[in-house]
Amino acid sequence: MPEETKEFWRWSEKVWRDESIDWRGSRAITAGIDVGSVSSQAVILADGRLYAYHSTRTGSNSPDSARKALNGAMAGADMSQEDIRYVVGTGYGRVNVPFANRAITEIACHARGANYMVGPSVKTILDMGGQDCKVIRCDEKGKVQNFIMNDKCAAGTGRGMEVIADALGVPIEDIGRRSFEIDEEPPPVSNVCTVFAKSEATGLLKAGWSVNRVLASYCAAMAERVSSLIERMSVEPDFFITGGIAKNEGVVRRIERIIGIEAVRLPADTVLDPQIAGALGAALFAHALLKKEQKASAQA
Amino acid sequence: MHSASGVVATPELGIGTFQHWYENRHDYAREWKERTGRKIVGAFCTYVPEEIVYAGGMITVRVLGGHEPQDVTEPHIFGMYCPFCRDCLAQGLKGRYDYFDGIVLAHSCLHFRQTYDSWRLHIGAGFDYYLPMPNQVQSPHARTYYRGELAKFKAFMEEQLGRELSDADLDRGIAVINENRRLLRQIYEYRKRPNPPVTGLECMYMAITAQFVDKSEHNQALRAAIAEIEAGRDVGRGGTIRLMTVGSENDDPDFLNMAESLGATIVIDDQCAGSRSFWNELVPQADRLQAIADRYCDRPACPTKDYPERTRFPHVLGLARDWGAQGAIVIQQKFCDPHEGDIKPLREYLENTGVPTVFLEFDATNPIGPFRIRVEAFLETLRNEDLFGDDDDGLF
Repeated sequence: MPEETKEFWRWSEKVWRDESIDWRGSRAITAGIDVGSVSSQAVILADGRLYAYHSTRTGSNSPDSARKALNGAMAGADMSQEDIRYVVGTGYGRVNVPFANRAITEIACHARGANYMVGPSVKTILDMGGQDCKVIRCDEKGKVQNFIMNDKCAAGTGRGMEVIADALGVPIEDIGRRSFEIDEEPPPVSNVCTVFAKSEATGLLKAGWSVNRVLASYCAAMAERVSSLIERMSVEPDFFITGGIAKNEGVVRRIERIIGIEAVRLPADTVLDPQIAGALGAALFAHALLKKEQKASAQA
Repeated sequence: MHSASGVVATPELGIGTFQHWYENRHDYAREWKERTGRKIVGAFCTYVPEEIVYAGGMITVRVLGGHEPQDVTEPHIFGMYCPFCRDCLAQGLKGRYDYFDGIVLAHSCLHFRQTYDSWRLHIGAGFDYYLPMPNQVQSPHARTYYRGELAKFKAFMEEQLGRELSDADLDRGIAVINENRRLLRQIYEYRKRPNPPVTGLECMYMAITAQFVDKSEHNQALRAAIAEIEAGRDVGRGGTIRLMTVGSENDDPDFLNMAESLGATIVIDDQCAGSRSFWNELVPQADRLQAIADRYCDRPACPTKDYPERTRFPHVLGLARDWGAQGAIVIQQKFCDPHEGDIKPLREYLENTGVPTVFLEFDATNPIGPFRIRVEAFLETLRNEDLFGDDDDGLF
């Protein structure tokens, strides 16, 4: 029998719903859909309150990924797309969300989502996505003041971490923890290029490094690369990290060490997930835009 | 609209003509040679004194890239030289400019000099001439020096022609090229209107085609374009965000089209594919060569020629203010050292004077999706649309 291939890169898809809310009693159901290069999220709000969300893998087709994310968030709630009055699409596939009323960039949406999660004190956001990385400065409302993005390659982003998980045979969700199970912090790998880092990592294993030491070295390299981007923007606290890599303490703590600023952590018992920040921001914009539309039609 | 020969027929003169010329530039050049029996000089960068070439009955065709992937330049030019230089050389190696009768480089940057040197070695094209246009145009000796070099260049061109170039020849060249500059400036003036009657993409086509189309024919098309505008042209650009582009060479229609599809209009530029090449007219003098030397020393500077004082910065800010630009897209060809040295101080200068910027690094082909995110997010910050609403409005 062929041996089952384990996908170490595969992160847990997530579905959450607030069972205490009866959405049928709400006047406005709105949604935000974030179709990223690696993951897609849908967030549903009931009268502006977080009701449900779903985070899933992006497939080869953006409209299908958007539908899959939304269907996942609606699943079990006896809700259909027709019940949602306003949808904002975001992420690199934002213009390919067929049922969206409006597309807004993930830069604006992550800032808005981070503001909801942390509050008005958040001023700098690092979004570490699947294939890019953004540093965003915003005001107390979550409105973008300035932003900077990484270069065009995917080095030092979520996809790179997935490749390393597979190359080293370590489940992606264990990487952060294991990267600290070392005697001494190693120097960062020289290459953060996704392709070269993989060969460098396997080369280090052959040279006698432990898996954990290689993981530490890769996390450190990713943190260095991202920190140089952060420092180009100048960080003002509160500083918050969104996107999938926000859940990798191995990278987050090393970034904090380099820039000398601690990132805000969500409480341990929160239902919020930094990976849904973009979709959450989009849903909040959808809520505000629906109100705006309603006011305009009332005045007309 | 293909003719029996397969060449796309030129549409009636007007704003559409420039895009047609841009997309069929080699067909135009070959057809022009056949029609006129005259010669074409390949121009490397925008400092070649076209007046002297035109005085001899020839035209200059600026060497440009093709915005397509290529694999022919690797043995001939360094990988860390800018993609524009590499793309231009690729066009030569692929034989796209096989109609050149000669080539001239007026010195600007070392990367482009490598393109020229490699072209001479591996492509060849009749005559070639390296014109050492001074980089330190701010030196008090630059104009005298350049006048001397222009005299040598004129003598060289006379050798190619087999006749002398008289003052009357030079005056004819100066008149046609100056008129071209004046007409392009007139088109740019229209862009100051709250509802610009031409898009940034259309203006890019107008400015860049001036660098390879016979100027007398280009002038006719510009006059037709002006008539079209004067007749009350409306391309629906009122209420869009007004942007400027600043930086390295950029004649990428896909990029400009994308940026302008997002509710923005490029109203002004400081780029060699645009205003920098035609901005200042030549001021006539009894000594024609001195007048030409002064014109090229006085033109808005490429960063290779903008030291010790950075004259470009106040010029760029003046353009932004006069044309009402709400923000600037700052562009750098990857590895373009002269521009790279300017990017940080230029962005700080503009931002400190109220012109927000976004930076993009260009390659021979550009990733439109990632660029779109950057431009769209930049526009969102400029637009100030209320996306936040009011929690206490009594609604849901």
